[in-house]
Amino acid sequence: MYTIKHNGNMKIVSETLAVFLVLVVVIVSVFAYEWHICSQKSIIALATTTSTYDSGLLEYLMPYFQEKYGIAVHIISVGTGQAIEIARRGDVDLVLVHSTQLELEFVNSGCGVHRIGVMYNDFVIIGPANDPAGISGLKNATEAFRRIAEEGAKNNAKFISRADKSGTHMLELSIWKKLNLRPLNKTWYVEAGSGMGAVLRMANEMNAYTLTDRATWLSFKNQLTNLRVLVEDDVVLLNPYAIILVNPEKYPKRNYEGALMLAKWMISEEGQNLIASFKKWGETLFKPMARNIELAQLLGFPEQEKELAWYDMQEPWV
Amino acid sequence: MYEGIFWEEVLNITLLSLKVSGLATLIGALIGIPIGTFLGLRRFKGKRTIMRFVDVIMKTIVNTFMGLPPVVVGLIVYLLLTASGPLGWLGLLYTPMAMIMTQLIIVIPIIIGITMSAVGSIEKSIREKALSLGATETQAALLVLREARMGVLSSIIAAFGAAISEVGGIMITGGNIRWWTRTLTTAIVIETELGNFTMALTLGAILLTIAFIINLALTIIQVKGARE
Amino acid sequence: MSKVEVKSLFKEYSGRQVLKGITFSVQKGEFFVLLGPNGSGKTTLLKILDLLEEPTSGEVWLNGEPVDYSSSKERVMLRRRIGMVFQQTVLFNMSVLDNVAYPLKVRGERNFEQKVKSVLELVQLKGFERKNALTLSGGEAQRVAIAQALVTEPELLLLDEPTANLDPKNASIVEEVISHINREKEITIIMTTHNVSQVENLADRVAILDGGRMELLGTFQEIFRSPSPNKNLAMDNIFHGVSRITNEGTSIIDIGDGVHIEAAFKRVGNVTIHVPPEDIILSKYPLISSARNTFEGTITQITDIGHIVRLRVKVMSIKDFIVQVTKRSFNEMQLNIGSKVYIAFKASSVQAN
Repeated sequence: MYTIKHNGNMKIVSETLAVFLVLVVVIVSVFAYEWHICSQKSIIALATTTSTYDSGLLEYLMPYFQEKYGIAVHIISVGTGQAIEIARRGDVDLVLVHSTQLELEFVNSGCGVHRIGVMYNDFVIIGPANDPAGISGLKNATEAFRRIAEEGAKNNAKFISRADKSGTHMLELSIWKKLNLRPLNKTWYVEAGSGMGAVLRMANEMNAYTLTDRATWLSFKNQLTNLRVLVEDDVVLLNPYAIILVNPEKYPKRNYEGALMLAKWMISEEGQNLIASFKKWGETLFKPMARNIELAQLLGFPEQEKELAWYDMQEPWV
Repeated sequence: MYEGIFWEEVLNITLLSLKVSGLATLIGALIGIPIGTFLGLRRFKGKRTIMRFVDVIMKTIVNTFMGLPPVVVGLIVYLLLTASGPLGWLGLLYTPMAMIMTQLIIVIPIIIGITMSAVGSIEKSIREKALSLGATETQAALLVLREARMGVLSSIIAAFGAAISEVGGIMITGGNIRWWTRTLTTAIVIETELGNFTMALTLGAILLTIAFIINLALTIIQVKGARE
Repeated sequence: MSKVEVKSLFKEYSGRQVLKGITFSVQKGEFFVLLGPNGSGKTTLLKILDLLEEPTSGEVWLNGEPVDYSSSKERVMLRRRIGMVFQQTVLFNMSVLDNVAYPLKVRGERNFEQKVKSVLELVQLKGFERKNALTLSGGEAQRVAIAQALVTEPELLLLDEPTANLDPKNASIVEEVISHINREKEITIIMTTHNVSQVENLADRVAILDGGRMELLGTFQEIFRSPSPNKNLAMDNIFHGVSRITNEGTSIIDIGDGVHIEAAFKRVGNVTIHVPPEDIILSKYPLISSARNTFEGTITQITDIGHIVRLRVKVMSIKDFIVQVTKRSFNEMQLNIGSKVYIAFKASSVQAN
């Protein structure tokens, strides 16, 4: 009588199974290891704007912090709007951003706490060297925008907007608002939807005006031979950066201790001095203001004195 | 000093890329090959209308997912892993694990799809032949898989190629954090933005070399397949 | 097992009847041939006998026992006593040795070297063991396929047009092997073909299959030397007539109704001739060519079988010729039932028996 014998493929089956099991074990152990690293409490996640990150300031500061406290900081650099949205979802421990309106919304909704001004940089209006709108030397950014719009309408000038809800874009919109101008769908008004570096390069190619932070401008200046700084030193153009911690009551799983440590260090004498000492192409990009209460109040931080006192009282590492 | 850290970072980024895409492809193969083989064997064929319907739906889903833009996958994984999302408790957002998960979703349909068609194209003749030579159904299925091995191998290589060159998805879920979740592709994006063209070009050359090796392997397999 | 009985077998594929009540039995050691045009159900019948397909109704008895198609264990057990060679040669991407050893390996046999060696000798492929099977020529590949079927020493051998795609040299090797094992080892063989001369040389009995029905069953003599010609309408292009030799050394066969066919052989008297459908050229206009036989006719039937279209062309309102064209040329020629066409074939295409 015939019986079905399986000897022929038993070997193949057992070999396949063995390989499969080994792979599963390898993968599981790699994952366990990764998970172990991922879940280490001693990581601080900071969401910040591309402009801060791209300037190199954080790459400059973080090694000092890390050396002192031995904690790694993971920096996620995105637009201001996205940075705050990420924090609102509870995916980071603190934010370093620059958009007063979005910051206040974030704090008022109870997601962020202890907003404090850390530093500021300034914006400049740059444009083609031949300056068709004739704004060179003006100390009034609003007037400069008016002239650009005027010449734009005559097809003599172009303006490139970030159009990405970044802090820079917000500032630009607030200036148009002051003029009661809403330049949508105009041929002279180009909405790029890109980062600052990309927009600067576009402006260089198209001989257009744009609004930029000084840091990014300085780091790209050498590549942008067609462009010049035309308007600066208007108070409107000062750009304050705030740190906001995510609310520990709302996000109990976040590393509040670590966030507090980093924030406290940034506004400490040491941190502020390091910010002032950060130079690129021989120029200071960011000026500290955490301890300059008068200036901070002028730039939209009415509670600066109170918050500074609060931070100074905290001792998270004890 | 600058030189040292430059190459250290290049190495770090390259290794991370290989690790993330390699693991995603490996896990994707472990999941995708059995499913692809199963679908390719057309066990649903014939008999009942409902089974045929399931078969058609499964294959349509696979083909749809094969064409899914990686950024959409990234967005979905992000919304799953974000602290306020359903898998937020895992705490995996902005980690290499999150990137592996993203690429896994991208590679699985590729592996299933190519395995499915490689198995399906030879299934009928090889299975029938094996059965007539006295094989059991299991033996016949193993032989079909063995005969489809070149197709299965090219599915794995194609999946790895898609994974290593993918940028949109892992940018969203990995966060492009330096020394941590920065891969060849996301690094090229940020370094270009920063104007660090030396770094960007170095990484680009590495990516190009990897892509060349992948395509070389695929071409060799195809040439071999054509000769046979 | 060596005795095969088929009892009123029906097979249906999604509403289309392929086999319409087939009944016959084959004795132990008999060489049984199924003859019929493409699409007559020959292959389906063999696949049912090899338990690869399940009949819609009807029974198959092997060695006096009914086959239970629903038991997968029984299917495997029975298949292991049957060898089958397919019309389309399928080999595995491995060495010739491993290909031929495969049926032994799946049965759990370890010592296959000697068996493989002797069966390869039988099909005249000695020394091919290490070659990859996929690098072989068509004829060599088909001989490997026959070795695969024979290596397990089956009691029943099913052959589906084993020489259909082969050149004459390979075809004769295959025929030799088949008749050898039938005589020496008393293996029961069921073979399909549409080559009439193969029937005459090999078959003990022959059955003619057409449209899923068994039209005729008997010895070659009974069928092809039969005095009543209309029985043979089932076969494609089989004609009976009286042959005479011409001055040019060819033969003219009068198949009646005023139709004369010229053939390359020399025969006198009663003959049965066969014109393979694939050798007939079809055109819409009178052909000037080297073909010695040209007739005008009308299309009376169109059968679509995949990429090939079979046409029935009536010549002199009485004689039916079956012609095959590819679907593409069928579409290009815009043919329809009632279309007037011309058919042509060479004298050398006419086979006599």
